[in-house]
Amino acid sequence: MALTLPPEDAIASSRRHRSVLRDFAGVAAILVAAAIGYALFPDNLALLTRVLAIALLVLSLDLVTGYCGVATLGHAALFGAGAYAAGIAAVHDNVTDPIAMIGCGIVGGALAGLVCGAVILRAHGLPQLVLSIALIYLFHEFANKASDWTGGSDGLSGMTVDPLFGLFEFDLYGHTAYFLGVALVLIVFVLLRLLVRSPFGMLCRGIKEDPLRIRAMGASPKAALMKMYVVSGAVAGIGGALNALSTQVVGLDSLSFTQSAEALVMLVLGGTGSLFGALTGTVIFMLFEDYVSAANPFHWLTILGLLLLAVVLFAPKGIYGTAAAYIVRRREARP
Amino acid sequence: MKRMLAVAVAALMMGGIAHAETVKVGVIGPFSGPFALQGKNFKAGIDAYMALNGNKVGDNTVEVIYRDVPQADPAQSKSLAQELVVKEGVQYLAGFYFTPDAMAVTPLLKQANVPMVVMNAATSAIVTKSPYVVRTSFTTAQNSAPIAEVAVARGAKKVITVVSDYGPGVDSETAFQKAFKAAGGEIVDSIRMPLATNDFSPIMQRIKDSGAEGLFAFLPSGPPTLGFVKAYNENGLKAAGIQFFGTGDLAQESDLPALGDAALGILTTFHYAVSHDSPENKAFVAAAEKSLGDPKEMTFPAVGAYDGMHVIYKMIEATGGKKDAQKAVDAVKGMSWMSPRGPVTIDPETRHVIENIYLREIAKAADGTYYNKEIQTFEKQGDPGLEK
Amino acid sequence: MQTILSIAVDALAYGMVLFVISIGLSVTMGLMRVINLAHGAFAMIGGYIASYAARDLGFGYAAAVLLAVVGTVVIAIPLERLLYRRIYGAPELTQVLMTIGITFCIIGIANYVFGPTLKTIPLPQALQGSVDLGFRTIATHRAFAILCGLVVALGLWFVIERTAFGVKLRASVDNSAMAAALGVRTEIVYAVSFAVAVGLAAFGGVVGAELLPVEPYYALRYMVTFLVVVSVGGAGSIPGALIACLTLGGIDTAGRYLMPEYGEFFFYLAVIAIICVFPRGLAARAK
Repeated sequence: MALTLPPEDAIASSRRHRSVLRDFAGVAAILVAAAIGYALFPDNLALLTRVLAIALLVLSLDLVTGYCGVATLGHAALFGAGAYAAGIAAVHDNVTDPIAMIGCGIVGGALAGLVCGAVILRAHGLPQLVLSIALIYLFHEFANKASDWTGGSDGLSGMTVDPLFGLFEFDLYGHTAYFLGVALVLIVFVLLRLLVRSPFGMLCRGIKEDPLRIRAMGASPKAALMKMYVVSGAVAGIGGALNALSTQVVGLDSLSFTQSAEALVMLVLGGTGSLFGALTGTVIFMLFEDYVSAANPFHWLTILGLLLLAVVLFAPKGIYGTAAAYIVRRREARP
Repeated sequence: MKRMLAVAVAALMMGGIAHAETVKVGVIGPFSGPFALQGKNFKAGIDAYMALNGNKVGDNTVEVIYRDVPQADPAQSKSLAQELVVKEGVQYLAGFYFTPDAMAVTPLLKQANVPMVVMNAATSAIVTKSPYVVRTSFTTAQNSAPIAEVAVARGAKKVITVVSDYGPGVDSETAFQKAFKAAGGEIVDSIRMPLATNDFSPIMQRIKDSGAEGLFAFLPSGPPTLGFVKAYNENGLKAAGIQFFGTGDLAQESDLPALGDAALGILTTFHYAVSHDSPENKAFVAAAEKSLGDPKEMTFPAVGAYDGMHVIYKMIEATGGKKDAQKAVDAVKGMSWMSPRGPVTIDPETRHVIENIYLREIAKAADGTYYNKEIQTFEKQGDPGLEK
Repeated sequence: MQTILSIAVDALAYGMVLFVISIGLSVTMGLMRVINLAHGAFAMIGGYIASYAARDLGFGYAAAVLLAVVGTVVIAIPLERLLYRRIYGAPELTQVLMTIGITFCIIGIANYVFGPTLKTIPLPQALQGSVDLGFRTIATHRAFAILCGLVVALGLWFVIERTAFGVKLRASVDNSAMAAALGVRTEIVYAVSFAVAVGLAAFGGVVGAELLPVEPYYALRYMVTFLVVVSVGGAGSIPGALIACLTLGGIDTAGRYLMPEYGEFFFYLAVIAIICVFPRGLAARAK
């Protein structure tokens, strides 16, 4: 009996098969989580909708940090740009249809992604981090000064939003916003999973591992990363628009360094590079925050610090990442 | 049969017992983060009122629920307000330290049938966003206008305004400049500094170069104030005779120990000083300090919260513990009472508080502590920001 | 002309305060390759210890400074052994996360122990008042800060370039495996460097307390400034850090004098411009 290896395409197709299965599992998990959320917190849908909006931001951050290896503490610039784009369209240009506002958010986020990408991709490592910080402060200050358009530090308010599809109103109880949010997260998640499995996604992952080799192969790292940045901007913009739609107000905090840092913390908490980690991290962090600040706001920061230390020391791949690695190890250990 | 009779009797009895309901009040404020001291003062004011007046209004027990918004975050504020209304069933929303947080909640009030009592947020426009908003604190414009007269009276006819570049700073600059020009003064220059400024020496240099006889400053309370006052002294402006006029945000009592001797003599106008000499204030301060623990941490949000609770109690009395926002707000329009800060009235048209604004000077008491000494009173001041 | 000189003096004072605090971060990041976002927290601890010693315990200024430096180093040593040692060589994100966690914990503890109000460090008689430079006066404590900055810069340069310890440090940084093979005790080198960096941070926190007041959120408020300064200067380079501090201090001060409304824009656009032209900082150590 000769020792033969299974043919190449059988391996590839089985891997693809497993990946597709994981996607379905992911979609199912999101639906289940959304249902549980609706059942457990029917009076707190506003919080859950915020979680969904931030989840989109963290997903977009995962694209550039987890898949492309770009270190950034300024990603909220894209989120805030989307939020302000949607908000300004609603208040100043009378664009009050929710789908149109999301469209504005996509455009705003993508443009911001273009600008930020052009600047941030010029350096690596620490200087790159600092460029991202400088950009978010510039965006923040610009929004503060352009107060005729953005409302400045008082925030952009006075938005009215038409009922979704003419039927579902955005009201005090937040049902419409929540279901819209779940739908958006599902659609974006599926599209992004397809994206990261596509040749373009593979290229970006290759750039993260070894940019020199990619250049030797003839591909341009810069161009690919820029495209990914624009996509990331679009995703973050959707999150910003969702935030604007559900709360009907846009504040400077959506363009803040703090928001960017929290998004990074949520991403690393969940685990980079898998999209699932981004979702897990966001949900855990924001629910944790809500619970602890209601119970004991005074010590919130210390408790958060201890949580971060615990994750770094005991689960460095993030909560989802460590769990996934554990499952893989168990599977490989089986005879 | 017997069972059904027993159940029926029990049901009748339950119906007969007087309804002692709990009326919930949701308070949104900064209880963690850099502004935690202000949130602590909200709580101290509320605790003080409930200690001095009991926690019952008629048959209803008042329960206060606190939710934390550490910085100006309108989305979080709105979502917490929604949670308080839908999940906790609060009848009143109160608190709000930052303007964007208050603004974000105003669209909810009508559908929720809940009035909002603003205990701090100081931008004039908030009360115009909904007919169910009542404010018991102050506005930046209200505090900035009176000192313009003082400046002219003290011989500073040419003044330079120096404010932090954000909403309240710009409001303050506008109000001061309008009142100062009306009093016959001349504004030689206006500087707007970024909020994150640490080093004020170049600003001081520019003030000196402008040839002003006085400066009007507005900065948010906290570390920037310390740097600014120190820079004023160190760069020789005090020695050169350039007078310092500001609003009480610069001189809040919790910052005075750190400012120390450098701040002596600074004139500010504000609606409340902890040292205000009245029996109501003495009782209030004693009760609030008990809640705070450390008397040095007492500052102005406490009195806004104290009077806010007074308004809420009156609203509960008027509606008999039932949820009716319009009735509640109508009941307090035009209401006057003696607050720890002095006599106050809720303006029936704007729903903002009309109060005395005091001119104070930072002084050192015999026991070495620093306090704001009231030296002049401007009576019955409304909000100039709301006048068109 | 007088205005330019005046701005220059202010810029020098501001830049030097930044230098004294940030040089420790430059050492940690350049020589030990650890992104230590908790650096501002150590400066804050130094400020708190000095304030407590001077105000509540009644020590003199010099004694308070000494106590602050020693105290902060003592607090940092167990942190280094238990936490920092695990992230040497770890990916950047892990270091960022760990040090942010340490910062949050320190802020929470400081808030709990010392309360949320500002703390000042009472200056001794000698440092109060102003020094007359002829064309303008400058606060004495600022002149003191400039002097401290120069002394620190010279002292560090001397230690790194001219002493045996400096040789071992440079060797460990360039190739730690080789240095260890040659008999250099790299763990001791790292531990001592970390202690020096933290001590410098504490010293900077005390000297700069007039400019950057001590309160629980100090660590987060100024973290970005320190990070930007170190990055622009090039981590690990003392002349680079000095030039960066002076340049950025100058741009910040001049911007604030000429057009305060756009102060922030100037500063951050300058940072972006410098990094785009010098992607590894003004004087980065060649790898």
